[in-house]
Amino acid sequence: MASIKCPKCAAPVVFDAGTKFVKCTYCDSQIFIDRSGAGFYYAAPFLIDEANAIGTFRRWAAGPTKAKNLDRLAEIASVTKHYFPVYMFKRTVGRKEQVMLEPARSTTLPGLHSLKVPATDLKVFDAAFDTEGAEVIQPDIEMLSYLDALPGEPVEQALVFFPIWRLSYVFAQKCYDVVIDASAGEVFAAGFPTRGSAAYVVVAVVGFAAFTLEGILALESMTAAASLMALTVVGVFTASYAVARRL
Amino acid sequence: MSEISVGLNCPACGGAISVVEGDDTLICPYCDSTLFIEGERGVSTIAFKNILTRDGAVAETMQWWSRGWKARDLSRTGAVSEVYPIYLPFWRSSTRVAGWICGYTERRYTDDKGRTHVQRVPKEEMVLNDYLFSEIATDPGDLGITSLRNFSGETGFADFDMIPTFEATTGRDGAVERSKSDAISRARRSVSVPHITLERLHVFPRKLSMIYYPIWVVRYSYRNRMYMSTVDGVTGEVLSGRAPGDPLFQSLAITAGTSVGGLLAAAGIILSTLTVSEIPLVALMIGAGVLYLTYRFFRHGSEIIEGDFKHKPASGGEAMRGLGETARLIRGAYR
Repeated sequence: MASIKCPKCAAPVVFDAGTKFVKCTYCDSQIFIDRSGAGFYYAAPFLIDEANAIGTFRRWAAGPTKAKNLDRLAEIASVTKHYFPVYMFKRTVGRKEQVMLEPARSTTLPGLHSLKVPATDLKVFDAAFDTEGAEVIQPDIEMLSYLDALPGEPVEQALVFFPIWRLSYVFAQKCYDVVIDASAGEVFAAGFPTRGSAAYVVVAVVGFAAFTLEGILALESMTAAASLMALTVVGVFTASYAVARRL
Repeated sequence: MSEISVGLNCPACGGAISVVEGDDTLICPYCDSTLFIEGERGVSTIAFKNILTRDGAVAETMQWWSRGWKARDLSRTGAVSEVYPIYLPFWRSSTRVAGWICGYTERRYTDDKGRTHVQRVPKEEMVLNDYLFSEIATDPGDLGITSLRNFSGETGFADFDMIPTFEATTGRDGAVERSKSDAISRARRSVSVPHITLERLHVFPRKLSMIYYPIWVVRYSYRNRMYMSTVDGVTGEVLSGRAPGDPLFQSLAITAGTSVGGLLAAAGIILSTLTVSEIPLVALMIGAGVLYLTYRFFRHGSEIIEGDFKHKPASGGEAMRGLGETARLIRGAYR
């Protein structure tokens, strides 16, 4: 929690990230917190722990577009905990309030270019804030370099540190990176080993064609068609089960 | 840092005044002056009380596990690892739409000589309605929630400090704009005028507020993988979630899809040798449609996704609508 001095009695008044109005606990005067001229530091807590982050990665890796058995065969090389910096600007542009986000750090990590502050519980980031052992990545882009170019009047500007898990894994002798947002659990990946739809398409198309032909055959000989259909049902079921189980 | 705090006094008498976020006028308690608040005054904020308990959220999720095409052993193998409530911010806006929509409908009928006539029936509809709109005021991340379904409940800030409260990070005015266009399109849909010739609609944004809504996040593991669900803290309904699918259901679906679809296609081909009409083609189309829908489930059913997630494969309902449109196009070509 951050604190300011009450402009009436100079007593310390605590406030948090979203607060606009506070009441001084000593002299009871109402105080408006004007953030338009200052820069704030915010950070959000880790709501997803390491085991959870790895589990979330495994769930993601088991998805239908990922390579076969990626969730089991991916060797996790490293899991690291970071606070990544992003600038958040709230401004009024032509009587309308807008929120703009800009990166505060050049990076090659996936997902951090999409510029957003994920759903999270912002806290004022100061000496008392517990980073829980996460590495705080320092910004290397100045806030001022954005401020001059932005339209409208400032309402608030802040440097937001948001919590991420960075996970590197090796699959088929290649190394990949994913970033997991540690507050809302979103997984970002630039590239990953993919799995084609070929096996799925083959089962569907062959099955469909076989049933169509057997349906036409039924005009000639009902019994032959029926027995062939029974065979096809078994065949399609077995093949599709094998594909779905990724055997 | 003292310059960022502004003490608030009545400009008439200098007395201390008390401002609630979102108010635009107030009366000085000392000198009775009516004051208008300028500048960033925020929006009025409501928080719903979280009435669901931890056990309730877990029980709802476990019930949800057994519904739908989720892994059959999920109820036995799934293990809840984390359960916590959060407050998510939503913009809620009430918008009034008033005006008139004029136009006509077309009625077709065939007379005794077998000729088809098209008759225009003029329509004039009045619109006067209030529409509620809600939208999440932050990036939803991977929670699968983008708007509110429930607007009623006990309000209060009692447990506000105990529960992590997610901050609003989207602008107020964007939400107002979207609520306006949402209200107009809903007003249009509320009257059944298929061909609009004149439309005069006025939109009055009435009230914008910020709602903090309690939502339980349940994270659970299944075969070393972490899945999640979110449960409404007021109604106890499961709002969104990810769950493992079951290969058995996937293969049953494609077996049913290829057989039904293939036989329908065969029927279509056989009929096309016997009659000249659109029926064979429609049968063929429906056959292909059944195959397509079951194929989608076969391909993507290894993870069951419910809710408004990003990167979600198009739902069955959308596929059905696409199919219906194609069928109409074909029938149109035949006429």
